[in-house]
Amino acid sequence: MEVSQNSDYNDRKFALPVDSEHKATEFRLFSVATPHMRAFHLSWISFFACFVSTFAAPPLIPIIRDNLDLTATDIGNAGIAAVSGSVFARVAMGTACDLFGPRLASSSLILLTAPAVFLSSIANSPAAFLMVRFFTGFSLSTFVSTQFWMSSMFSPGVVGTANGLSGGWGNLGGGATQLIMPLVYSLIHSQIGSTKFTAWRIAFFIPAIFQTLSAFAIFFLGQDMPDGNYVRLEKSGEKHKDNFSQVFYHAITNYRGWILALTYGYCFGVELTIDNIIAQYFYDRFNVNLHTAGIIAASFGLANLFSRPGGGILSDVVAKRFGMRGRLWTLWVVQMIGGLLCLLLGKINTLTASIAVMLVFSVFVQAACGLTFGVVPFVSRRSLGVISGMTGGGGNVGAVLTQVIFFRGSRYSTEEGITLMGVMIMCCTIPILFIYFPQWGGLFCGPKKGSTEQDYYLSEWNKAEKEQGFHKMSLKFADNSRTERGNKGVPVTVTSYNETPPTSV
Amino acid sequence: MEVPTGFLVISLLLCFATTGYGVTFTSLQRTLVVTASPTEGQVLKAGDANITVTWGFNRTFPSGTDSDYRTVKVKLCYAPISQKDRSWRKTVDEMKKDKTCQHKIVARPYSASNNTFTSTILRDIPSGTYFVRAYAFNGNDEEVGFGQNTNGKLETNLFVIQAITGRHASLDIASICFSAFSVVALAGFFYMEKSKGKSSK
Repeated sequence: MEVSQNSDYNDRKFALPVDSEHKATEFRLFSVATPHMRAFHLSWISFFACFVSTFAAPPLIPIIRDNLDLTATDIGNAGIAAVSGSVFARVAMGTACDLFGPRLASSSLILLTAPAVFLSSIANSPAAFLMVRFFTGFSLSTFVSTQFWMSSMFSPGVVGTANGLSGGWGNLGGGATQLIMPLVYSLIHSQIGSTKFTAWRIAFFIPAIFQTLSAFAIFFLGQDMPDGNYVRLEKSGEKHKDNFSQVFYHAITNYRGWILALTYGYCFGVELTIDNIIAQYFYDRFNVNLHTAGIIAASFGLANLFSRPGGGILSDVVAKRFGMRGRLWTLWVVQMIGGLLCLLLGKINTLTASIAVMLVFSVFVQAACGLTFGVVPFVSRRSLGVISGMTGGGGNVGAVLTQVIFFRGSRYSTEEGITLMGVMIMCCTIPILFIYFPQWGGLFCGPKKGSTEQDYYLSEWNKAEKEQGFHKMSLKFADNSRTERGNKGVPVTVTSYNETPPTSV
Repeated sequence: MEVPTGFLVISLLLCFATTGYGVTFTSLQRTLVVTASPTEGQVLKAGDANITVTWGFNRTFPSGTDSDYRTVKVKLCYAPISQKDRSWRKTVDEMKKDKTCQHKIVARPYSASNNTFTSTILRDIPSGTYFVRAYAFNGNDEEVGFGQNTNGKLETNLFVIQAITGRHASLDIASICFSAFSVVALAGFFYMEKSKGKSSK
């Protein structure tokens, strides 16, 4: 379908078929071809490592709480700290991606937070524990660089899939760690013979080293954009170095970014909250042992293997027929059902039923995360990074809020907290109804007559900037995003690269 | 509103489910006399200090009360102050769910008098305020009596155990070295990127 006169040239240069921005139009999971698929594998693996580190403590809490003499309030506060650092770090990361590129931004952050994981081994008090969890949690903002990188490498038709898979397989770390850490701990405790209070400390070196190695991999093997790294592209003039305040301004004045930030807080934020509390919940409420609690908790996070990617893929599939409106509707329905299941989870008091409901709940809530990032790449082109950062940050705000209100200290029992969290999910999903794109429509209204993708994306640039030609990338993106109209009747005319409309002065 | 009524129903169901099952603490009589070597407020180091416990039948009870006693388990139990804001150490009347006494000192076949045991406090005992309690079990492994070194309100003769930190010098050094390495590596990355930028056209 893509008949560009540059197609021969493109195919020679890239292993995958590409569009006019050189973004891949296909997603081939088992390829590691530069730059597209390699970027995918680097981003999900490093994000996975960060998740493993951030949630390395929860499965070992029953040991750590005895070693450091923690109270329920201390544990709750540390859990909140783990997800709160990332709130602003995610917005900062989004900005850094817009300005310096995802490769440098993410490898820097990963290396800066690795010390926090190493130093977890020497924590000796509730305050120290809180600090290491707080700083380790900053690493969760590699989520933003992951999504930004995927949105830079993959075309609108597959961006939901790429985002969903990289985000989902990264989030997998939150589940894998619930298995890995107890396993590493028991190996050290029984095979090497360290006492309990030493074994958990040694165990933390594993996620720390893994995280450090992934940063090296990104730096040496990765590339910011299909055509090269920012540094080189800016030098050669192919990419202009954007202006921070403009980028920031266009992000924060876009109301859709704020709505998605809120709703993401109640799918992803809920996922983070569950990662923090679920092992302890099963251990304390159903009297299973540490190992079993870890396995159950892990299965929640492990559902990310297919559920978040499923959400992303579903978003792309629905968009083919129904465009952006389909993406928004599906997101709303799936997240609502997730909220209902969460409500139910808190009310069940038999072990088997609880595990079953938790699994179904995990699929829905994670799919909602994938669906959210099927919409995010289209909210802004110029400020993609900051919008991604805001949404991602909103996810963490949701986690902080939820844990502060329902899971700290002894005010609500954990099961009461889970039910109330379900109610809150449903309430905070309602704002999706208010998202409206003039060129594509919203949940209830169709598109505004005569409004085009170019109007929307070029409105982010002022006249002076357009005169200097800074808006060219947005122009290409606008054309490529016509697929979001769906195909209900109106044939999608794909403008080849040479047919730039005369409006660009 | 939906939530409270639903919760009420579940609680009622739970009540019905749990009555009539399992031994409760309040049903037990204090038929054993237990003493422990630590004095009130004494601080003991885990992995280092010794503790001696003695237990025997309380002669003020009619003889024959202990006819079905088969084994005795002596345990370290958390004092109320160490249970505060720590629901995983909560005292619950139903013995199966009670989490007050989580650390076993010794288990012995029952004999009415002259029972003593000395041991070092294990290295995995957490920091906290403790007392000692002994449970007598019958042939079905159910609690049938108890004794403790403190009073009924758990106020007297409490002692403190200080846990090991679990830290070692080698761990500390490794931790700090690896952290420093990460930061230095990052500086290296920036330097390499800058020189790449300068050299590329």
